Amino acid sequence: MTNYGLVIDQERCIGCHACAVTCKQENNVGLGQYWNRVLTEGGDKMDTPAGTYPENGEDGTLEMSYQPTACQHCENAPCVKVCPVNATYTREDGIVEIDYDKCIGCRYCMAACPYNARVFNWDEPQTVPEDGTGDVPARPQGVVEKCTFCSHRVEEGLDPACVVNCPADARIFGDLDNEESTVSKYIKKYQTTRLLEDRGTDPKTYYIRGEMSPGRPQTSDKMESELDDVSVWSEPKDNGPVEESGGSGGGGSHSSLSNDALPHVPAFEGGDD
Amino acid sequence: MTDPQQPRLTPLDEWESEAATILDGGDYDAELGLRMARDAIRVSNGELSDAAFHEKYHEVVVAEFGEDRRPTEPEGFDE
Repeated sequence: MTNYGLVIDQERCIGCHACAVTCKQENNVGLGQYWNRVLTEGGDKMDTPAGTYPENGEDGTLEMSYQPTACQHCENAPCVKVCPVNATYTREDGIVEIDYDKCIGCRYCMAACPYNARVFNWDEPQTVPEDGTGDVPARPQGVVEKCTFCSHRVEEGLDPACVVNCPADARIFGDLDNEESTVSKYIKKYQTTRLLEDRGTDPKTYYIRGEMSPGRPQTSDKMESELDDVSVWSEPKDNGPVEESGGSGGGGSHSSLSNDALPHVPAFEGGDD
Repeated sequence: MTDPQQPRLTPLDEWESEAATILDGGDYDAELGLRMARDAIRVSNGELSDAAFHEKYHEVVVAEFGEDRRPTEPEGFDE
């Protein structure tokens, strides 16, 4: 059985917020709402470090990192258990989703979510342009909404938008029940943590910290399971660069490109001057 | 305008007051929502079973919402 999950390599994350922006665009998320947030670990405000600048001949202590956060698609989701009308439910593929026709806006699920991952449409959502963006219909006023792992894309064999558009290749999506998937291999190989593990929610979003992984260079917007060969990033060679079969691959090594796959980042051909 | 919901991961010690704020001003029983949210996390933690959680709130959920379609209903549950 398929059980989708996400690995985010925080050693690769550069805090650019591309995942947050592309999420809003793809999912038609209204102004002022976030399904996918990039939190700053460090100072009190976004993109501000903790510590001190190097002054008076002393070393600085500035420190900052990023914590991308969205619905964790918990295996043991309290939001699902608490919904009185079963509007929030877990799909067979593990994605936690909301039936907006059933949602009555009681917000009990928001109270039960320890990740603050859900938002409520207090008013009619506003978007720019007014007709909305992306490939998902706008949700009405009075319902709760949140990340769906871009289930509309997943159902078409495509990776979630935040995964495809991460310029640092820091987000890897796949089947946690498949031992050969990159997410499973990375969870096994690298040190990973999950948010608020003591809550027992069993999140399906894992964070790599410590050693940087090869990430997931995007050879197309297809999900890994749709590609012929993923060995380039899922089986890195120890202590050495990954061999390429020729040419340069902007954004990562693309020796596994299938014929119909388009590079996410155009190959860099060299300087003009 | 929509309520600005700024990016942050709520610290655990602030969760309950934030949950109360989330539930405030709604059409449904905020105090019930807070109690159910607290116990739903206890279910996730393994401190409370699905069945016990369902039974504990079944009557009050039906009274508040007119139905109880939570997935925690045990097989053969007798109302």
